[in-house]
Amino acid sequence: MNYDIVIPPTADGSAEVTIVSWLKEVGSSAKKGEDLAEASTEKITLYITAPVDGTLQEIYVQVGEKARVDQVVGVMTG
Amino acid sequence: MVSYARNPHEVENSTRILVAKKDQIGYWLDLGLSPYSSAFAIQERILKARIKERVPSTVILQENFSLFTIGRTGSRSNILASADELQRLGIEVLEVNRGGDITYHGPGQLIVSPLLYLGDIDLNANQYLHRLEDVLINLLSTYGIRTNKKKDYPGVWWNQAKVGGVGIAVKHGYTFHGLSLNVNLDLAPFALINPCGVSQMPVTSLHEICGHEISMKEVKQRLHEILTKVFSRRFRDVSWNELQGVLVSGGT
Repeated sequence: MNYDIVIPPTADGSAEVTIVSWLKEVGSSAKKGEDLAEASTEKITLYITAPVDGTLQEIYVQVGEKARVDQVVGVMTG
Repeated sequence: MVSYARNPHEVENSTRILVAKKDQIGYWLDLGLSPYSSAFAIQERILKARIKERVPSTVILQENFSLFTIGRTGSRSNILASADELQRLGIEVLEVNRGGDITYHGPGQLIVSPLLYLGDIDLNANQYLHRLEDVLINLLSTYGIRTNKKKDYPGVWWNQAKVGGVGIAVKHGYTFHGLSLNVNLDLAPFALINPCGVSQMPVTSLHEICGHEISMKEVKQRLHEILTKVFSRRFRDVSWNELQGVLVSGGT
């Protein structure tokens, strides 16, 4: 089953963040809650975490690209 | 009310409520003058325990030996000094996971890292960041110093000079990193960087503004009062030894 990886709603809804790193590669496994990526505004770093135990299937938003809060940036299978 | 996804460790609601009640009394951990890396290792350890709800809100205070830290949106190109010069001056450079660009830390600068759950204080990350600026503005006003925020330039400013900074990170709704205030900090090393990525940005300190050395102990006491009010929590002093005991007994 596929599970979306989303930018967490911790910044305000209008905030745009930049993906600064993916901490896992496509195909690697992660436990629920484990850090998958870091996103940043000018002064805030947000951690994007695994929604389930599973495998990182695909990355939609690459390092350096921007995304909005609640946007799906990747997908995991679990 | 700001709502967040449940944290990944499936803390039961009843446990969360219990911890939230207990959380009205948090910890105040003053690490004093510490190497940045070891102080940050402590912060990460407490953060893990916070995420598992094994410790209440905790405010960590520290001063660091001289170093430059580069945040997640920063770049080494903002260091103007050569590696040899930095080595001669004994200034270390570290890339860290707070938001923001490059800045200088050293003895006389107070770094404050509140480890809070945003849901408990009903703020989103942006609101929390600005609340930290308010904390600095309130603190400085107790010294009769009027400071302000600057649009597009986070931090706290006295005239055109930056006296305090903010930069946070958030994991599962739990905050870490926080704010810094130049109290009696030697400002000379700022000339070796573009602070926060801004060329020739003026910086100042409480010492420079007041014209005399400021008691760090007094600053911490005033900050304690302000954070207690702003976040509606009491914070009791805890030593690292005592807190380590709590972490070990909690299995973190």
